[in-house]
Amino acid sequence: MKIACIIKQVPDAEARIKAAGGAVDLEGVTFVIDGMDEYGVEQALRLREGGLDAEIFVLALGPKRFEEAIRTALAMGADRAIHLEGDMALDPISQAKILAQVIQKEGAELVFVGGKEADWDSAALGAALAEALGWAFSDWTTEMGVEGSSLTLTHDTDDGSETLSFNLPAVISTQQGLNEPRYPTLPNIMKAKRKPVDKVNLSELASAGKTQVLKQEIQSKERRHTILTGDAQEAASKLVQLLRQEAKVI
Amino acid sequence: MIDFSLSDEQRQFQALARDFAKDVIMPVASKHDQEESFPHEVIAKAHELGLLNVIIPEKAGGLGLGMLDEVIIGEELAYGCMGIYSILMASELGITPILVGGSEEQQKRFLAPLLEKPSLAAFALSEPDNGSDAAAMKTRASFEGDEIILNGNKMWITNGGLAEVTVVFASTDPSLKHKGTVAVVVPKDTPGFSYQKIHHKMGQRAAHTAELIFDNVRVPKSNMLGGLGDGFKIAMKTLDKTRIPVAAGSVGLARRALDEAKNYAAERKAFGKSINSFQALQFKMADMKIGIETARLQTLYAAWLVDTGQAHSEASSIAKCYASDMAFDAANETIQIHGGYGYVGEYPVEKLLRDIKLNQIYEGTNEIQRVVIAKHVIDS
Repeated sequence: MKIACIIKQVPDAEARIKAAGGAVDLEGVTFVIDGMDEYGVEQALRLREGGLDAEIFVLALGPKRFEEAIRTALAMGADRAIHLEGDMALDPISQAKILAQVIQKEGAELVFVGGKEADWDSAALGAALAEALGWAFSDWTTEMGVEGSSLTLTHDTDDGSETLSFNLPAVISTQQGLNEPRYPTLPNIMKAKRKPVDKVNLSELASAGKTQVLKQEIQSKERRHTILTGDAQEAASKLVQLLRQEAKVI
Repeated sequence: MIDFSLSDEQRQFQALARDFAKDVIMPVASKHDQEESFPHEVIAKAHELGLLNVIIPEKAGGLGLGMLDEVIIGEELAYGCMGIYSILMASELGITPILVGGSEEQQKRFLAPLLEKPSLAAFALSEPDNGSDAAAMKTRASFEGDEIILNGNKMWITNGGLAEVTVVFASTDPSLKHKGTVAVVVPKDTPGFSYQKIHHKMGQRAAHTAELIFDNVRVPKSNMLGGLGDGFKIAMKTLDKTRIPVAAGSVGLARRALDEAKNYAAERKAFGKSINSFQALQFKMADMKIGIETARLQTLYAAWLVDTGQAHSEASSIAKCYASDMAFDAANETIQIHGGYGYVGEYPVEKLLRDIKLNQIYEGTNEIQRVVIAKHVIDS
């Protein structure tokens, strides 16, 4: 079986992001493989370690800098990579169409993709990919097993969780709780550089996305820095009043 | 051509070591420091990830990493805990004489087994009565048939007694000075070889330091590295290389000192503002930064000389001496920035000062480094 792991490279969660001139300025930011995608790579490796006969490839759509995330996934243990390289900004629906073509061409039957992306926070790619492929889909998956061509998995719903069973081919979106991704070991980092990375020019697969970005801003919240004065009783009653009337949390 | 960029692979090593320091070392560093206990779980995990004994050559089944790789990793690990890093560093120190003076057969015989499980090596040169004056060693080696017999004591040996292999430097005849020295590999459970753990160290308390006792310890002659008279040379060539990771560790510790200072100075208020708004403290942090950047450059330069097969004795002495003095000052100043809180164990900064003190002493005191540097100045 071929397993595809879709990966992205995103700013490190600890990075300070600035917006300048209506666009996010990523100059000097450290990038890492998206943590949500790491769960997928880890799960694929665990399935294989559990006895599943599988070839695991990573599939990344993005600029040249994504190479670093690709190398991380290869160092974790994936066999090879396909990098659809280009600077074009594409919405999740357009990305899904392109990725679906490659997945079908490669003959993968199981696809892992992060539940959402750490940069733009869209949770659309997994669902869009399943739609484009016409395959079964489980989002926010926290547990899974494969038996023959049948999958059993548990995923989060708005109110709790549910356990599903369906047949391959399928798209699985991953999240925290599914597993604990491994560190790439030093020997595997060294082996990874000999693993094949196929480069495909993104512009050969897509011309433009369905949406156009006009402006980007960083979400920021102003704090009020109110200091309540008076004795403890007085301050407490003012605080209760503020929590009731202003914050409306009690 | 000058190029300051790291390779993709080196950036990955760095990222792995950084994560390892954050996730595996830092949560237990204070505990092992307080308990003076050996971090078996950290060493086991380091072995699993390939961070232990990284310089074992590919011919012996290892990764064969270079000095640049080693210092890039070392800086990150020492950021987490210099004492824990010393365990790994001292193991590479124990391996180095086998690379410097050992045959390919010896390298395979002694080093390949170290890769199978979390195993350490050790380097035994200093003695109770002599450290810097290494040629004055009293540990005696004598030959009998196909065996070498060792008698004497070695002092301040990191990983001493825990190591699977210990390279012991000894003299066959003190009157011959350097020319009577030998380097001998002693396996862990050799009869007559025992150790005594040294307690109540000021810092680096997670690292195990011991006195080694050799009482008619017999090993095959085939355990001797090089020939008769090569011991001192092998020891010095080893230290010329291995003091560079000491420099890297110092840079990592200084970086930690600066981060702690930066975080505390942003939070702590005095006279109605954050204390990082006061130039007196800003300048301390600026000086730390100047020290960290310049010490790292010298460390990388010395490592590059090693990897490119160029003379590196002077450069490695400069790196070790400068980086450890710089890091001592950085640890000292971060305590000053923390005020009273810096003096107690609630914040990790007092440990930084206790830990870094040793970097000015081991693998050649900073006075000996200055002797080496001055000799190069005068002789060149």
